Amino acid sequence: MIDPYYLQQLAIGLSLGMTYALMAIGFTLIFGVLNVVNFAHGEVYTLGAFAGLVLISATAPPVFAVIFAALAIGALAGFSLERVAFKPFRRFTDEASLKSRAMRESTLLSSLAVSIVVREALEIVFGSQMRSVPFEYLINTPVRVGPVILVTGDFIIFGVAAAMLAGLQYLLTRTRIGLSIRAVSNNPLGAKYVGIDTDRTIIMTFVVGSMMGAAAGILTGLYYGAIFPAMGFVPGIKAFVAMVMGGLSSIPGAVICALILGISESMATTFVSSGWSDMVAYGFLILTLIFFPNGLFGARRERV
Amino acid sequence: MSAPVLTIENLHVTMGPQEILHGIDLTVAEGAIVAVLGSNGVGKTTLMRAVSGVYRASRGGIAFRGQPIANLPAHRIVKLGLSQAPEGRQIFSNMSVRENLVLGGGDVGLGELDRMLDMFPVLRERLRQNAGSLSGGEQQMLCIARALMRRPALLLLDEPSLGLAPMVVAQIFNLVQRIRDEGVSILLVEQNARAALRVADHAAVMEDGRIVLAGPAAQLRDDPRIAEAYLGGHTH
Repeated sequence: MIDPYYLQQLAIGLSLGMTYALMAIGFTLIFGVLNVVNFAHGEVYTLGAFAGLVLISATAPPVFAVIFAALAIGALAGFSLERVAFKPFRRFTDEASLKSRAMRESTLLSSLAVSIVVREALEIVFGSQMRSVPFEYLINTPVRVGPVILVTGDFIIFGVAAAMLAGLQYLLTRTRIGLSIRAVSNNPLGAKYVGIDTDRTIIMTFVVGSMMGAAAGILTGLYYGAIFPAMGFVPGIKAFVAMVMGGLSSIPGAVICALILGISESMATTFVSSGWSDMVAYGFLILTLIFFPNGLFGARRERV
Repeated sequence: MSAPVLTIENLHVTMGPQEILHGIDLTVAEGAIVAVLGSNGVGKTTLMRAVSGVYRASRGGIAFRGQPIANLPAHRIVKLGLSQAPEGRQIFSNMSVRENLVLGGGDVGLGELDRMLDMFPVLRERLRQNAGSLSGGEQQMLCIARALMRRPALLLLDEPSLGLAPMVVAQIFNLVQRIRDEGVSILLVEQNARAALRVADHAAVMEDGRIVLAGPAAQLRDDPRIAEAYLGGHTH
């Protein structure tokens, strides 16, 4: 019989991992298409949370309206981010320059710059301290499952993450825009020859990925009850680690690694103080880079 | 001769500081196969990419069915009915054969799918397979089928025989003739001059970014200069 304590930690770890997974999906989607790391993804997450919070404070709307606001802001943020931080560096759209080192490094810095600007702007407008989410919007009503106590948020986050993964799978394999995203990811030059507007497809990728990031932000905000300008930083790093562990461009790989990460962190708090649990993610990153340079799920899988 | 599908006038293409094409003039008549011959690096692929809108023209004009298309974005040119089976095939190797064809159809849809699978039966057997797992000849057929999915009026074929076994090359050129017989005009770029001149109505020879010789294919087949340079004389 497993000690209920470990089951409890496992459950906590799973929901923690799911929040990382929500983040990692958008991150990986954008990487898969452009081969660039979008360092502003964490700020998109924060913007999603603040969009929800502002709406809650202003009109006390139903929860789905809060999520909808986060998705809308996420879409807008994704579009603007692509135009401001990525498009200016994409002067040529053949595969070599689209995935060149120069492109990668310049957008790495430009997206980092956007993330700093957004975070500071949020601090100027909202202040840097944590803002608490009104009690009635919190998704932490306890639910008892056998020996383990979960909260409603665990189920909601699990459900949303599963729905997003399934939705994304549907989008990428069954819809024209999804096929175009995969085509651009696979062969940008080939995409031009079949009449795909690569520019528009790249924007759509950012919009879809950022909507997922923003949804992750508002859900995590409602789950933990705290929203603040720097909230996207740590999940951003964790999502990055999950993406690298998963092999950089495999979405299922990133999700599995995000779950591994969440569970390991929550288990680790059994043995070390919780302040050290972040070391788990960094430890995994280093081990992955040393022993599995292609990631745990890299190489064999299709990009995106 | 009927009205031209494609008219290229004084086309110049510059890459960085270097001019690659120095004023190309070329016409493809409706229902014709026109071959552009020449060795590696003379600018044949640059010409094809400029026509498809992947490269910009720095000077000169390109008209497709009377409409100027120079410097239109590539995706708009495809939608007008000008498709290309490009050099290196550029298929989506991580996606299934069917997905490649669906992408080829684009907003026109899958109306041509059955006809393509009849024309290229090998693709029907491999419909669910990843395109990257096909043999070179099969990939070339997929590349051509993908370009035909939109029912183009003009098909650009860039080195369809490259890297293929002689038997497969013969098969591809038979298909090229069949495609023309079904009403698609073809602009063909080839190093394999012998095979190209066998199917072409007109041909042009490129050297160093210029067309140095042009005329009916039958005439070029007998031209001693062609025979020497491309048909088994000594190469320069």
